[in-house]
Amino acid sequence: MRILVCVKQVPESELPILIDESGEWIQGDAITEFKMNRLDEYALEEALLIKESIASTRIDVITVGPDRCDEVVRRAMGMGADSGVHIRTVSDGYQSPYGVAAAIANFARGKKYTLILTGAMSEDAMQGQVGPMLAAQLGFAWATSVIFEKIAADKKTIYVEREIESGHRDTLELKLPAVITIQSGINSPRWPSLSNLLRANSQELAEVSISDPAGLQQMEHPAAVGYPRKSRAGLVLTGSRTEKAARLLTVLREKSFL
Amino acid sequence: MGKDIVIIAEHADGQIRPVTYELVAFAKELQRATGTTPIRVILLADKVKGLAQELADSTELDVTAMQLPEMAYYTGELYTRVLAEHLADLHPSFVCIAQTSQGSDYAPALAVKLGAACISGVREIKKHEGHICFTRVLYNGKIMARLKPTSPTAVLTVQPGIFKADENTGNRSGSVTLVATSARNRQSRSLGIKQAVTDTADIDDANVIVAAGNGIGQKENLEFIQRLAALFTKSAVAGSRIVCDMGWLGYQCQVGVTGTTVSPRLYIACGISGAVQHVMGMQSSEFIVAINKDPFAAIFQVADICIVEDLTTFIPAFIQAYNEKGVQNG
Repeated sequence: MRILVCVKQVPESELPILIDESGEWIQGDAITEFKMNRLDEYALEEALLIKESIASTRIDVITVGPDRCDEVVRRAMGMGADSGVHIRTVSDGYQSPYGVAAAIANFARGKKYTLILTGAMSEDAMQGQVGPMLAAQLGFAWATSVIFEKIAADKKTIYVEREIESGHRDTLELKLPAVITIQSGINSPRWPSLSNLLRANSQELAEVSISDPAGLQQMEHPAAVGYPRKSRAGLVLTGSRTEKAARLLTVLREKSFL
Repeated sequence: MGKDIVIIAEHADGQIRPVTYELVAFAKELQRATGTTPIRVILLADKVKGLAQELADSTELDVTAMQLPEMAYYTGELYTRVLAEHLADLHPSFVCIAQTSQGSDYAPALAVKLGAACISGVREIKKHEGHICFTRVLYNGKIMARLKPTSPTAVLTVQPGIFKADENTGNRSGSVTLVATSARNRQSRSLGIKQAVTDTADIDDANVIVAAGNGIGQKENLEFIQRLAALFTKSAVAGSRIVCDMGWLGYQCQVGVTGTTVSPRLYIACGISGAVQHVMGMQSSEFIVAINKDPFAAIFQVADICIVEDLTTFIPAFIQAYNEKGVQNG
């Protein structure tokens, strides 16, 4: 059985995100630390668990992005994926999920994947669109925000539980092949192993370049970006740590919380 | 080429979900901004008649009720197929869907079928240089982006809780058009909803909630959260999703869209980044204090008091101040 896992490289969560001079996008160059999107780690771990339970399963991992994204593919191989694919884009700007999904669909078409897994959303764009879009482009069944899955013994169907509002679960049986987007908490993603990382570093990644110089298909683009507005008073306490602590104590006493 | 704004109604257990009325408010604002006419509502259900009439009466909009024998439960496959077929002839400018577990499941697939842009979690309609743009958050709430669709049709999923539903004037009622279709699921089979069985009474009833986020760094640091909570009466410890995923707290303590929605008198967010999914579960708290060492954390946008400090040093400093000044000096 062949599984494709789609992973994305995203900025480390605690980094500031600054707006560029045009006001149309962020300063991509100012971001220096990246990691694998957290939900994609869960998706990859789920694929690895399937591989451990179903013999002769092969896991390919794929990413779409600029040169730096090699790193996230190698990390995925370090966790145990068998091979990696990098669809290189020239631009580091906004990518329409439509175009990202189309690029992955072009790669996946005809390769007999039984299952395609990805995180329920990315931490930077937070749209959760690539999974269902990929399914629609390939004509596969799909389910989003999956918190439990089990492949039937005959490998023709998969049972899934989607996490919905208030923690309830929407349960479905899907025909394979299918695209499943994974919710956090479904498993505990493993750390990359040294031996796998060494193998990943010596292995060539399959590279797919976008032939069209204009890059991925864009269905929408950012006209402007800005910083969010405060929806409340947002009083920022100043001074030393002790002064801030004393000030907070005063505020909470005035409001009779203490 | 049509120019309609289409709303896809959301319902469950034989009831129209309140978010559907927020979609109506959104669509009306969009209509004012674009001059686009008219607005129609589409409803998919197995027993569609009563719901459709209720919608037509309460929204005063025309409703197309699509009756599907297999629609006792939602499936993304059937929603996408039926809507794609129906909307292909209509060529709407905008398709408005709720950013819920249902809407976010089928909207992107529908957009592919319609060759349309899909913009998720829309919170604002904004004109930019004469073009209609839709505002959404990026980078964990640190950036707001105005996205401009470049396709003739745009599928929009609207963030719940932002657009206020209008009062029904009771002046008129919309029409109801019944469409029977025999479309069936081919690739998916719904097996129904499993109810969550977690007991969330502790955080439901608390006056004061002290919540931990990823910023606590390690499980041992939960002790700071517990010690802070212990200063207040009728308090509870809660957490963001990531803290529950790590197994540091049980899921019954999770605040957010997939956990519990709370509105205590005081909410102290410790090391919480402020992702939309968490904020939706706590934004109606009466008073919000945020402690985070990342000055750019989105949680500060919804806080009354912002403290840029590491919680592992700030909370002990606060407890010390509390102990030194004594309770009676309040």
